[in-house]
Amino acid sequence: MKSITDTTLALNKIASRLAKAASLGVVMAACALGIAQSLPPVQLDANELAPRPIEEFTGTTIARHYALAWHDLAGALESGRTDGLGDEFVGFAKNRLVQRIGDQNKTGVHVRIADHGHHLKAVFYSMDGTAMQLLDHAQIEIQIFDGDKLLDTQNELHEYLVLMTPGADRWYVRDLEELPGKP
Amino acid sequence: MPTTHNHFAFCKRAAALVLLSLLSGWARAGELHVPAVVGAGQAFLISVGGSGQGTFYLVGPDDVVKRTVSLRNDVQIQASDVRSAGRYRAILCDSSSSCTSATFDVKAAPPAHLSFFLHPSRVPVSYPDSIDATAFVFDRYFNLVLSPSTVDFRITPAGGDGFSRSSTTRYGAAWMRLGSTAHEGPVQVTAVSGNGNSSVNGNVNLEEARVIQQVAAEACHLSMKAVTSGNIVTLETDPVRDCGGNALPDGTVVSFTKIDKEGKSTVDTPIRKGVARTQFSVNGPAQISVACGVMLGNEIVVNGKNI
Repeated sequence: MKSITDTTLALNKIASRLAKAASLGVVMAACALGIAQSLPPVQLDANELAPRPIEEFTGTTIARHYALAWHDLAGALESGRTDGLGDEFVGFAKNRLVQRIGDQNKTGVHVRIADHGHHLKAVFYSMDGTAMQLLDHAQIEIQIFDGDKLLDTQNELHEYLVLMTPGADRWYVRDLEELPGKP
Repeated sequence: MPTTHNHFAFCKRAAALVLLSLLSGWARAGELHVPAVVGAGQAFLISVGGSGQGTFYLVGPDDVVKRTVSLRNDVQIQASDVRSAGRYRAILCDSSSSCTSATFDVKAAPPAHLSFFLHPSRVPVSYPDSIDATAFVFDRYFNLVLSPSTVDFRITPAGGDGFSRSSTTRYGAAWMRLGSTAHEGPVQVTAVSGNGNSSVNGNVNLEEARVIQQVAAEACHLSMKAVTSGNIVTLETDPVRDCGGNALPDGTVVSFTKIDKEGKSTVDTPIRKGVARTQFSVNGPAQISVACGVMLGNEIVVNGKNI
């Protein structure tokens, strides 16, 4: 009788652990899906790239890390935190963002970006593979707040010139400059 | 009486309209007039209209400004507020929290820095399209200078006449490819932005130099001679050179291969002072060959003493 009780208890424990593991798996999958879903869509067009063509894997990596960069940028501008920016930004781009977020925190201003996607056109890829320039036609909505007060909303096409350089396992955004608007 | 009553009603309406007009005047956001484009690092004024006090915001690529302003005076934008090229949003909110906004662009200042990459650091002589040069043109605030400009790449080989190639920047980048020249040694490549004078129209002439080492290409006309002493054969190559007459650098590996009745034996030896040497012990007739990279040299047949 005791052995039957022990077996039942053991089975209950196993079932409980399996259920916990399954729910944990579901949560993790949902988180992964959530992260994937929160990345803005990025399309890369490298048809007119010069002077060297782009490898398929490089193209995929660039599109992914550019999407991650905008995800991190939007998060940092809204939260006022700069700690995650180094994952995707280096050099001038990182320095400028860090400075801007510092100013935002001093003034109480923050920015919310609703990112509807980016159409990247690669325009220059150096022969030695150490730099790539891209034009980004970004459809983004930018809201500027002072505290909780909405000051301004822009919902239009923005054009950026992007300089990306490779690191050990990713491509970093080294420069991000918005181009003058079309008259 | 009716006339007096109508007159009184008219006055009431007029007073209400004046009050409404005044109130709407206070509630209306101040006017904001921004220039379409300004140069990076240049102070300027933004004209505003209205009365009383308001809050002015400037949101740019690397800074955010917030200050209380009088709506009767123009807003002074400091040079330090517009150092980064890009789009800026100016926002003016009046005392009733009604806001108006405008956008202006900041373009890069004149070129002040060149970022120059030369690749690779060593290259064989006479190799087509083997040298790549890329230059990025920045202003003093490290904004890419987007207006097209000419970059001269001046190539100065160690022994030989220099020459130059020009390239026009696109989105701030200029590049060129060229083949290596025929002689080994250092080659200096200098990127020059400007027109060669130290200062023209206030624009500083920019130069950045890099050096690339041209080394000999593959060996050419490889030959060796043998000196036999008993059953020992000493082998030595002639000075190993490429087809342009450049000596292959010390350390380049030369392979000597002997085939005799004991089988095949290979010795890899580095070039020292321009030549490669080795010794074989041979037993009876033997065929010895020499190779360096893809180049096969002469073959020698020796007849060693049987021991």
